[in-house]
Amino acid sequence: MAQKKIKKNGFHPKIVAFACNWCSYAGADNAGVNRIQYSPHFRVIRTMCSGRVKPGFILKAFQLGADGVLVSGCHFGDCHYIFGNERAVELFEKTKKMIRLLGLEEKRLRLEWISAAEGTRWGQIIDEFVDEVTQLGPSPLVSEKTK
Amino acid sequence: MMDAGRHPNIELLTLSEVTRVDGGAGDFLITVRRHPRGVFEDLCTGCGDCAQACPVVVPNEFDLGLGARKAIYSPFSQAVPNVYVIDCQNCLNGDFIVCENCSRQCERDAIDYDMTPEDVVLQVGSIIVATGLDVFDPYLMKTYGYSLSPNILTGLEFERLLNASGPTKGHVIRPTDGKIPKKIAFVQCVGARGENDCLYCSRFCCMNSVKDAMLAKDHEPDVEEITIFYSDIRASGKGYEELYNRSRQFPYIKYFRGKPSKIIEEPGTRDLILYVEDTLTGKPERIRADLVVLASAGRPPGGTERLAKVLGIKLNSDGYFQNRGEDGQFLSSTREGIYLCGCARGPEDIPDSVAQGTGAAAEAGKHLAEDRLPEVEEEIPQISTDGPPRIGVFLCHCGINIAGVLDIDHLQEYAKNIPHVVHVQDDLFLCSDGGQKEIQKMIVEKGLNRVVAAACTPRTHEPIFRESCARVGFNPYLFEMVNVRDQCSWVHSLEPDFANQKAHDLLRMACARAQWLQPLRVKKIGMQPETLVIGGGMAGIQSTLDLKAQGFTVHLVEKEKGLGGRLRDLHRLYPEGRLARELLQEKLGQLKASGVNVLTKTEVTDVKGYVGNFEVITTKGTFKVGSIILAAGADVYRPQREYGYGKMSNVLTNLELEGILARQESEIKIKGQGVKRVAFIQCVGSRDPEKNPACSRFCCPTTVKQAIALREKGVDVAVFYRDMRMVGHGAEEMYQKVRGMGVLFIRVPDAEKPKILGKKLAQGVEAFDSMLGEKVEVEVDAVVLAAGMVPREPDMTRLQEMLKVPRSPDRFFMERHPKLGPVETTTEGIFLAGCIQGPKDLADTMAQAAAAAGKATTLVCKETIALEPTVCEVDEMLCRGCGKCVAICQFNAPELVERSPGIFVSKINEALCKGCGTCAAWCPTEAISAKHFTDRQITSMIESLFQEVA
Repeated sequence: MAQKKIKKNGFHPKIVAFACNWCSYAGADNAGVNRIQYSPHFRVIRTMCSGRVKPGFILKAFQLGADGVLVSGCHFGDCHYIFGNERAVELFEKTKKMIRLLGLEEKRLRLEWISAAEGTRWGQIIDEFVDEVTQLGPSPLVSEKTK
Repeated sequence: MMDAGRHPNIELLTLSEVTRVDGGAGDFLITVRRHPRGVFEDLCTGCGDCAQACPVVVPNEFDLGLGARKAIYSPFSQAVPNVYVIDCQNCLNGDFIVCENCSRQCERDAIDYDMTPEDVVLQVGSIIVATGLDVFDPYLMKTYGYSLSPNILTGLEFERLLNASGPTKGHVIRPTDGKIPKKIAFVQCVGARGENDCLYCSRFCCMNSVKDAMLAKDHEPDVEEITIFYSDIRASGKGYEELYNRSRQFPYIKYFRGKPSKIIEEPGTRDLILYVEDTLTGKPERIRADLVVLASAGRPPGGTERLAKVLGIKLNSDGYFQNRGEDGQFLSSTREGIYLCGCARGPEDIPDSVAQGTGAAAEAGKHLAEDRLPEVEEEIPQISTDGPPRIGVFLCHCGINIAGVLDIDHLQEYAKNIPHVVHVQDDLFLCSDGGQKEIQKMIVEKGLNRVVAAACTPRTHEPIFRESCARVGFNPYLFEMVNVRDQCSWVHSLEPDFANQKAHDLLRMACARAQWLQPLRVKKIGMQPETLVIGGGMAGIQSTLDLKAQGFTVHLVEKEKGLGGRLRDLHRLYPEGRLARELLQEKLGQLKASGVNVLTKTEVTDVKGYVGNFEVITTKGTFKVGSIILAAGADVYRPQREYGYGKMSNVLTNLELEGILARQESEIKIKGQGVKRVAFIQCVGSRDPEKNPACSRFCCPTTVKQAIALREKGVDVAVFYRDMRMVGHGAEEMYQKVRGMGVLFIRVPDAEKPKILGKKLAQGVEAFDSMLGEKVEVEVDAVVLAAGMVPREPDMTRLQEMLKVPRSPDRFFMERHPKLGPVETTTEGIFLAGCIQGPKDLADTMAQAAAAAGKATTLVCKETIALEPTVCEVDEMLCRGCGKCVAICQFNAPELVERSPGIFVSKINEALCKGCGTCAAWCPTEAISAKHFTDRQITSMIESLFQEVA
């Protein structure tokens, strides 16, 4: 596969991706098995369920310098814990409001459903998200710190 | 698949065929021919280097020829075992050409071109046949033009296009020009229901097309119109009708009643023209589509006849394996000790197949009861892991899979500077025996109390590493894994600099997390080896018999004074035509002989405890059981003055007619009046958006069965229907038979219900015949309402309150997962059998009852159950008893307990908690910690990511 476009200005965002063990993390593995090439500018933290990702984790990541945070779980109806992903949505919406208050763009926080078989989709979403965050530039919280 | 592949008691023999069966039930001797793989299973790591080196490219069978593979390949990306295989037909080495590219690439020397077939002999107690089905090849039917245009696909081929890991990466495109089709046509019943010598209905195709139509638009928003050409949409399964209704709300999905008589490809545009008569208007039409999908029917797979001969079992007239339905043994083959499940019996959908698989396992267990293996466990002295963290880092090369992209030497140097790391080491294959032994050695030698391995994915390999650690007494929960292969070197091989950076970060994060890991111990709780079955209908009886036959103690509780439930009201059973009463007598006889504790006129008043240790309080004493099967049945809907029911004495339900048929074999009389003309009205109390949107599934075949019985007595029959949904084996054949018997079938529109004519007695039925396009009137002596099934109240509500088992939108009890856990509930140790989960006919009920018994067996066969220690825990000092965790947990694990008067705190039951950690995320006071995924462990990873090593 062709080399993915790398931004010329040299900015590579730091993105934290929370992936649930059963679907999204497995989907990311599936991308590997299929040797799908996608952007390396993110780091995965595995949790058992997307419902485990509490606002505190996301805020901590932004506070310490993340340019974007992705939360990813199973499709609705596929959750290993039945409704964990639906709970994740509720917390996610709350977190979204909080990051707005911090002066961050909403686009820096994203929620996705990716199944264990959707390696390609995992790659596409990471690429899309990295592109989007790259367009937004460094997190305003980071630039404030460095000022 | 992975669970099966990893299970210590399952031996997977792939690429193998049964060639000979000797002996009998309980003691079979089977000969299995193992075809040569060309790759040693124990050496291959599934890295795929060989396939990259292979020069031969051939069509990929898994993608139905739409994609390509090499001559050495993994059948599909999630294959189990994850081992490559050589396709001898296409491998160059077979033709005396020395290629050997793959074996030169293979770092583990796993390839051997000279493997030969090998016979193994196995001694087994029972055999389960689960050979599945093939899809009809429409190539044979000229009508649909499948052989003439590449733009006509089968349903299965279309599925491959929709699949994200399929040949088009999930894009729906036209094979001829790669463009996104604007108009897609689905054609139902291809090679089924009387076509191409196939009488039966394949059951799964309607819902598959409904689903695919919705998915196609999801995948390609540019699709403008999807037309489904059908004769009846058979959406009969739990939640299916609701999905069908949802699909009908989308303006881009059109349902067209009619079957194309011809499909041709237009030269030039390569568009497809379907010639089809709209059977609702009678108008012949020419419809253009960019892509046509043929919902191809199921067929018995090749080799079925040969296998039947080897096994010594019979096939049915459709060419699938024959079951013993007439004896109420729907999962038994014609030979004792050999069982059938899924599509080996005929086409099925996934939920039914899964239930049957579990059921067949329970049946098979009967022959193994005496040989059940005791659990053996060895005690290993634990080594101390206290004190400040001493982390050992192990780096895997995985041949060149990791080392080819990542600079292992550099990573090794880097790791040495990570805080708390005291030892770093690399290995060519860390998962090999040698690699594992090195880890064990270093744990002891260097006094490590944390182990971090940077290798492949924890999803497949963490259990292996954990086990090796545990073998030397090292707590396995102090092991941490970094995925630098599947999620790093494999996916960023074109950007090695960034891949290396990422590996550094991931390793640093893992070490940060590792220092906060806590040793956890697996807890064991005792298991009551008994089961309680609630409900003495056929489902309850079957579950009881299956458990008893495997040697377990069962208590069967029935509220009424007699057993048998609904079966007592039935006359003959479709499709075999057996007398229900006879079958019931037979089963009751078996029950009596088994010596099970049967309690009639008994009600369950309360249930306490949890899996393995339930305390059940009934009106006749208290029991301690390990598992509970709910088989309390359902009610038949009582029409609420609809169609004159209750007002006119000659309007009755299917069930009432059953009673009359059972009593009056010769002539049919209703209220003393001879009956010559009967009308059936379908979907009474079901498929009604306001009252009950679900389809009850059993009523169409029931009506047809009764229509046959009435016709045989010379009664004229008319059936007012919306779709004839003949699900179940033999049902469609019955329908075709009745159509030849002069029964009038009148299709009515969904919105316009038939009307009953007459004042005190029903004298006629008036309805709009959508095939004729006009109103029709049929004179009748009696009207039979095909009333659906509804949850039984107030029993269901009471059970729900006692057991805290959730209910589906249709108000029946909800299964854990429609496909993965069709007979389980969200509460561990409580299972569902029969109509309590949703409307079913007898065959499906019995299969599900066997499945529930199978699931209960997996629990009660153990003396203890091991509780996964990665659960949630409440710090009572921090808990303020708000009850948020109780409200959100799906598994009823947290409970508020009164610690001191008026002071409540939450307590989480380890036996019920699944460790998802959702409650920990919601707890407002951070009183809950999710073990092994604690706040500290996760935040330490985030902190370390943004904190470079000095």
